[in-house]
Amino acid sequence: MGILTRATKNLSRRKTRALIVIIALTLALTMLIILPPSINAREALTRQAFNGLISTDSNLNATVTMSATEIQCDYPPFFNTSMIGSSGTSNILTQSFMNDSLYYKISLIPDVTNVIPIFDVWAVSYGPYEIYGVPVENASFQMDPTILPANITDGRNLQVGDSGVVVLDEATAKNFSVSIGGTVTLSGHNFTVVGIEGSELPQPTHGITMSLADAQAITNMTGQASAYKIFVDNIDNVNTVITRISSLDPKLQVLAGLSQLNVAEPLQNQISELTQAAQNNLNQIQDTGLLEITVAVVADVAIILFIMLYSVRERTREIGTLKSMGASNATILAQFMFEGVLLSLIAAVIAIAMGVFVVPTLSSLLLPTPVQTAVGMSQLPNGTIVLTRITEGPKPFLTGNGSNVISASITPEIMLLGLGAAMLLGALGSLYPALKAARTNPAEAMRYE
Amino acid sequence: MNDLVLKIENLTKIYKLGKREVQPLTNLSLEVEKGEFTAVMGPSGSGKTTLLNVIGCIDKASSGKIQIDNIDITRLPESKLYKIRRDKIGFIFQNFNLIPYLNARENVELAMELAGKFQGQRGERAKEFLATVGLSGREQHSPQRLSQGEQQRVAIARALAKDPAIILADEPTGNLDVTNKQEIVKMLANLNQKQGTTIIMVTHDEQVAAQTQRMLYLNDGKIIKDKQSQKDALLDSLSKSKEAY
Repeated sequence: MGILTRATKNLSRRKTRALIVIIALTLALTMLIILPPSINAREALTRQAFNGLISTDSNLNATVTMSATEIQCDYPPFFNTSMIGSSGTSNILTQSFMNDSLYYKISLIPDVTNVIPIFDVWAVSYGPYEIYGVPVENASFQMDPTILPANITDGRNLQVGDSGVVVLDEATAKNFSVSIGGTVTLSGHNFTVVGIEGSELPQPTHGITMSLADAQAITNMTGQASAYKIFVDNIDNVNTVITRISSLDPKLQVLAGLSQLNVAEPLQNQISELTQAAQNNLNQIQDTGLLEITVAVVADVAIILFIMLYSVRERTREIGTLKSMGASNATILAQFMFEGVLLSLIAAVIAIAMGVFVVPTLSSLLLPTPVQTAVGMSQLPNGTIVLTRITEGPKPFLTGNGSNVISASITPEIMLLGLGAAMLLGALGSLYPALKAARTNPAEAMRYE
Repeated sequence: MNDLVLKIENLTKIYKLGKREVQPLTNLSLEVEKGEFTAVMGPSGSGKTTLLNVIGCIDKASSGKIQIDNIDITRLPESKLYKIRRDKIGFIFQNFNLIPYLNARENVELAMELAGKFQGQRGERAKEFLATVGLSGREQHSPQRLSQGEQQRVAIARALAKDPAIILADEPTGNLDVTNKQEIVKMLANLNQKQGTTIIMVTHDEQVAAQTQRMLYLNDGKIIKDKQSQKDALLDSLSKSKEAY
């Protein structure tokens, strides 16, 4: 028979009281045990949203800065009137292309650092498919990544030096019935499919994307381009360059990215508001969680303190008897502290068992809902920056049925930590009563009724 | 002198009760030999229980010297005093003071456990001690299920289990009916005769005291009569005063 047996026997002597105390302790400890993982899970979600917003913001800034020094020029399409049969005419919207001489003239304008030709032949012009050519012959195209397909869902994107390969959008791949590694034949040329472009983003996809040289070859339009992206060394020089380009050919449509600056400001404000909201949410989760943990800790310690004080008072004669029998102060201290720790531990075991089941329900009662707003940024082909706001929660947090899941769970580590904390709090709560018991004067205790 | 279990010299106990100063023991000296069965008698407030508590190391002497088995306990700090209580003293109380949530056997075992004695065979020894006090077969009974006489017998077994130098019994029969009273006193007398246990027993009861070998009468914190030594302090002082007269 040791200290454990005596503690258990004493607890079982007052069953109702022990039960009530254990229930109260269980409530406090359940809170204590489920809060840390819940806080972490919520924090992780909000932090993810927060980081997403920050990265969108920096993308936006980079794009705006780049756009501001970027000029796009092309010829506007025109209506071509052609005879249909013998009786009528039909207006067909027709593209015009620019040739190499214009390319060189623009390249020679002072302050122009780079000119990237874009070759985009509409489906109405080339069979049923849109042909999109990107100058991958050298790395300069990477100055504006928006010219590449944005959403590769299978395989890879085009790379520097690619030739004889294509990226198809989903619809086109379906029409050709090909997948990665397959071959498509266009105007007698064979191309290997290296990537598939998803059609989910708001940005329109291109039918068939290939290198500029390949695109020009299969359409017999060597040296021609549908648009130029022109990069200027400095924002201050953009207007001068625009004037110079326009003077080369008045029919040219010249678009400056400078207008993006005005468009970008409200977008940036929008993102910074969302970022602030996410930051507030993060603080709120931490503050609320911390407060509740404190309440749980204080409650646990206070319950044990009061019940053990009561117990010590009630058992004064017993303490006196134990002392008169030769129990040392340390023995009595240990006996009472052990009882407090035992109460706390029993409650912790129940709390852990309960915690496993009530984590989702209880944590949503105790803590603020995490922010899961995600904002994506993309650029339309005309260069306009658009934000796409996904309030439902970004993909990684969606389960199969589409509901948000906060994946807080009571791991073995949490269980051990919970037991450790319960032991510590039990010891803390029973320390003073146990000291009081140990210091009891036996002669007085024996007179106590 | 070798056989002295207890030697008290000029013991005085003073404590404050509110503003009033109480002196339950005044300049008391006493020697008890091994194997003696001593009754301490006297009116209420004469200092009987205080004397027992001071001997039992649960109360401190204000001045004087107490030696138990040649150990001066008046100078010992609490960190050593509990060992004297543990190893030298066995208490028997008027209201038994069994641990309520332990059964008879466990109450006896607890004494051995605290004393660190008989490890590994405490259950067996507890059974033997309970048999000595006539409680065979009642080992598993909790105190509430035992009669008062039986409870006091468990308390005696508990005191015996430590094999103490002195058993201090504070009105052990005070709460018992006539039959139980006689049985308990007989049991203590038996233990004293057969096992040579030294017992100091506080009692109000002449009949109970009659079973002992030595009777001390206390009044106002002093021993006024010590029957065994045939030294009648009262007569002595009377004759002295006569001489003076």
